Amino acid sequence: MSAPGLNNDSKKNKRTFWKRNTEKVPGSIKPVYGAKHPPTEAVIQASLANTDQSKNRNKRPDSFADFDHSTSDAWDDAEDDLMLMGTRKLSIEETIESNNDELHNIANENSTNFQGAKSKNIDVPMSSSHHKAFQPPSSPVPSPNVGSMGGPGVGIRQTAVIEAPKPVTAIRIPNIPVPDRELSKLHKFGQILSGPITDLDELRKLSWSGIPKPVRPSAWKILLGYLPTNIDRRTLTLERKRSEYFSFIDQYFDTRHETIHRDTYRQIHIDIPRTNPLMPLFHQPKVHQIFERILYIWSIRHPASGYVQGMNDLVTPFFVVFLSEYVDDSGENLDIYDVNKLSDDILKCIEADSFWCMTKLLDGIQDNYTFAQPGIQLKVNALRELVQRIDGPLHSHLEKHNVEYLQFSFRWMNNLIMREIPLKCTIRLWDTYMSEGDGFANFHLYVCASLLVHWSDKIRRNRDFHSILLFLQNLPTKDWDNEQIGVLVAEAYRWKFMFADAPNHLNLIKK
Amino acid sequence: MAKQYDIIIRLLMVGDSGVGKTCMLCRFADDDISSTHVSTIGIDFKIKTLTIDGKKIRIQIWDTAGQERYETITKQYYRRAQGIVLVYDMKNEESFKNIQKWMKYISDFAPEDVELILVANKSDAYNSERKVSKEHGEMFAKEHRIPFYETSAYMDMNINEAFIMLARIVMKRHKKEIDKQMEHIRLFCREDSDAHIIEKQGKDNNGCCVLM
Ligand SMILES: Nc1nc2c(ncn2[C@@H]2O[C@H](COP(=O)(O)OP(=O)(O)OP(=O)(O)O)[C@@H](O)[C@H]2O)c(=O)[nH]1
Ligand SMILES: [Mg+2]
Repeated sequence: MSAPGLNNDSKKNKRTFWKRNTEKVPGSIKPVYGAKHPPTEAVIQASLANTDQSKNRNKRPDSFADFDHSTSDAWDDAEDDLMLMGTRKLSIEETIESNNDELHNIANENSTNFQGAKSKNIDVPMSSSHHKAFQPPSSPVPSPNVGSMGGPGVGIRQTAVIEAPKPVTAIRIPNIPVPDRELSKLHKFGQILSGPITDLDELRKLSWSGIPKPVRPSAWKILLGYLPTNIDRRTLTLERKRSEYFSFIDQYFDTRHETIHRDTYRQIHIDIPRTNPLMPLFHQPKVHQIFERILYIWSIRHPASGYVQGMNDLVTPFFVVFLSEYVDDSGENLDIYDVNKLSDDILKCIEADSFWCMTKLLDGIQDNYTFAQPGIQLKVNALRELVQRIDGPLHSHLEKHNVEYLQFSFRWMNNLIMREIPLKCTIRLWDTYMSEGDGFANFHLYVCASLLVHWSDKIRRNRDFHSILLFLQNLPTKDWDNEQIGVLVAEAYRWKFMFADAPNHLNLIKK
Repeated sequence: MAKQYDIIIRLLMVGDSGVGKTCMLCRFADDDISSTHVSTIGIDFKIKTLTIDGKKIRIQIWDTAGQERYETITKQYYRRAQGIVLVYDMKNEESFKNIQKWMKYISDFAPEDVELILVANKSDAYNSERKVSKEHGEMFAKEHRIPFYETSAYMDMNINEAFIMLARIVMKRHKKEIDKQMEHIRLFCREDSDAHIIEKQGKDNNGCCVLM
């Protein structure tokens, strides 16, 4: 990890990583030429299928190609949405910018926004400390150690208050006893994350099989491309993005009662109390407000899809993970954590980071939520095709009893199986998705196949439409843990390795 | 598998998001609304077995998501519905206005002989919270010649009544087919498994009231 060649390598990786995020059509399913970081067991199993798979390596499925073609116009990038917004009577003069904009541009813009914010009456509580905290840096390149918001997320774990940032070097290892293997993994993460430039490939490789809790917040932010791999730029990036988010709030949140936005806001408003209802953490006034702002701001900046039910669920893993950054969890159960124990500044950091990371996630699956939800329809079809190949008897059983894939897997796609597994399992699953590059769009399909096939025997024991569908809509996964997710993703990896490059496999056999 | 039912009828619930469709359904099917405070994604499904007029009936109920974005998906389920519960929230005038929209979808996508009922949910609301009067609801229902109920999923008021009323009129509408079906079951299917019956019905469903 500290090899001399590291810098060059990681620079290269960094570039491809960013490229990857911008070049691909978000949400499209493309053939994958094998993940790089499978569990070893899966590699062995997958290699058995290697010959089979290599024959079809260059074949692209017609349906995938068609889809790719049909969506690439619709969703080039988030800018489309901002353009659209111009027609929606929003004042956006200052916000058209990309994430890669010049730093000082942003800084200037923000200072304008903050001037404006002071004179306006806004719902977001803006303490004076907030203003101070989010003041754009006066010089474009401040030293990372002086940024007051620099602590968490930049590669160190910090439980102390914001005013006392720790040096950006080491990961704090918790005192709780952990198995040796876990501990050495944690150390590896520590080294990667606190090196001058995080090797993204290395980070993905390590993360695929699960990220240790203490380093997850930082790892997620880097894997999603929210934080730069260069450690010196992290503090500044965080400050910039956080204040950018709050400038969005200043700018947009007041529009929620306008006629054209009322429906959006209303929908968000009735969904928030229905978000993970059994977890008290999500049902405190402050948390409701945070979710409302995150979802509303996201929707208004993405009018082509707007808010779609289920997005509220997608915020929860980020919120919990980023909360864990500030809570000493040895003595705290986050499920029932009282957020009043945290300062407003800390809550703001959590809110802004959750917003940006959710944005990154949704960038990759936007066609799941646009008109007619083409991404979901496509994935449901792909799932059917896949299951037909990997578990013929199960597929026939479903067909025989007139169970349609749409009837049970629509929700799997729309909510990324979050409704099917406990939240902690989703968090573990996302470690893998984030390591896969476009995991939320592509690898998810294989995870769904793997989930369905996992219950093959049980499903086939149900011998009428009603019991099959009821079973599928209420999978007995309540007690699932990371272990089961590990199995699920290993299987998914195997299917992906075998079939991703060979979607016409079946047709070829028929011929 | 022991045989538990004779006839299946298929109902669908539509209405704006948040009017309480899922709560109503859970009250009816599970008599419990505590675990159901989540939004419906796309479509959900429940089943309830009842005896109506001495006939054992299995009611299959499809619960749709009210948000507009899901309409492409949910519209696909109108085609096979025999009865539809139209729900609005009496605390929300918009949801009442939108009943027009839902009626339009029904006439566009549901079978011509589909039976309807209109339900104003959340009747436990305080008077000050009520935005749609009972008279307004009744008038609309009368105009369209459909039964009308004010219900509360919270207080378990009129929920069973509403669903059973719809089941009854669906059965009446399909009386001929149901009688034929009962006879068929009596003569041929007594010893068969559920699956077999359903399958049979699925294969030749011309005029049969049970469409799988
Ligand atoms: N006061 C009152 N509130 C109710 C009643 N039924 C449901 N609600 C509330 O209304 C909200 C929405 O209920 P749901 O059953 O989820 O609504 P829905 O129509 O299924 O909404 P979608 O799934 O989004 O289409 C919930 O917060 C319920 O607590 C009722 O009878 N009285
Ligand atoms: Mg519902």
